[in-house]
Amino acid sequence: MSAALTLRPGLPGTFRLATIQVVAPDPMTDGELIARVGEGDSGAFELLYRRYARPVFALALRRLGDRGRAEDAVQETFASVWRSAGSYRLERGPGAPWLYAVARNAIVDRHRARGDPVAEPVDEASHYSGPPERAEAGWIAWRVHRALAELPDQERRLIELAYWSGLSQSEIAEFLNVPLGTVKTRTRSALARLADLLEGELS
Amino acid sequence: MTGPPEFRDLVGDDLPAEERARLERVHELLRAAGPPPELPPSLIEAPDRAERSPSWLPRRRLGAGLALAAAIATIAFLGGYLAGYRHNSFKVDHEISMRGTSLAPGASGLIKIGERDASGNSQMLVTARGLPRLPERGYYELFLTRKGKPVARCGSFTVRPGTTNVKFTVPYAMARFDGWVVSVWSPASHGEPGPVVLRT
Repeated sequence: MSAALTLRPGLPGTFRLATIQVVAPDPMTDGELIARVGEGDSGAFELLYRRYARPVFALALRRLGDRGRAEDAVQETFASVWRSAGSYRLERGPGAPWLYAVARNAIVDRHRARGDPVAEPVDEASHYSGPPERAEAGWIAWRVHRALAELPDQERRLIELAYWSGLSQSEIAEFLNVPLGTVKTRTRSALARLADLLEGELS
Repeated sequence: MTGPPEFRDLVGDDLPAEERARLERVHELLRAAGPPPELPPSLIEAPDRAERSPSWLPRRRLGAGLALAAAIATIAFLGGYLAGYRHNSFKVDHEISMRGTSLAPGASGLIKIGERDASGNSQMLVTARGLPRLPERGYYELFLTRKGKPVARCGSFTVRPGTTNVKFTVPYAMARFDGWVVSVWSPASHGEPGPVVLRT
């Protein structure tokens, strides 16, 4: 199912030109999943892992600068999530910042205890405004990587190729063996979907 | 091949101003965030219940230990057999398989490594399957990795649809490395390895 024209609520006459495939959203928010993990729900834990394994790995790699140590830090982070999810309270705020704090603490604690150096002990500030933790470049990457994980596979591949492969749009079309028009349409679609997912970071 | 994308090239000129501004913010965020790293094989599945306890053996070490034990057993078992076996005129010492990353999920690879010769060089036969053909002037590069990072360039190659076999000769002592990756060469990366499409 697709919607070629989506009206923005409250702004009659303003429209978004986008062809966004409507997909069923994940039924549970991050916070709801963490609450379930706190009750010992393994299925919720696996879903949370699928959503956050790459953002946690990216954060650990950024902080530690070593893939092997970053792998250990991911495992430690999710062990911490499993142990401490019971202390999470849905009414105190959304799940993403809670998980970010758990990951950040697990990364620093584990390697401080082992006496290993931390490559990036204090996250540099980004140029985005907002509460201090949200101004961290690590937080921006965390949110963006989490949002990328929500995209349909073909759109995520397209964004990764467009931004980080060095290929032009026509070269991506050739690489994926799809028409250039399709690449452009899907890229715009993917950006629009990311804009929806990153609404809080765009303000 | 080009550098980072220009926003206008990505979305065109026909967007309403408000939507254009919204997407441009996403564009800035993507550029600020950088690429998400590919997950190593040991992290693809969520840890099971036993592994969530604090006193676990890290899976990458468990995995590495098992892989090492399997490799020793395989080498011991096949040693005599391989002693007389030659493939494409070199003696195959061992084989390593590669899997496609999220950029090339249907791709796979196999590296057959020969013994080091008297001069200290090793031959490798690389078989790549399912990698997309790159645009003109584009090519793939094979790297040896240390701690997962590409550190030693083994050579470059192009592919045609289906299976491609390429032979390389490298002077490296394989024991000093922990794996291989295949990346897309890109002038935008200024000599650094590009996006990884295959990984051991």
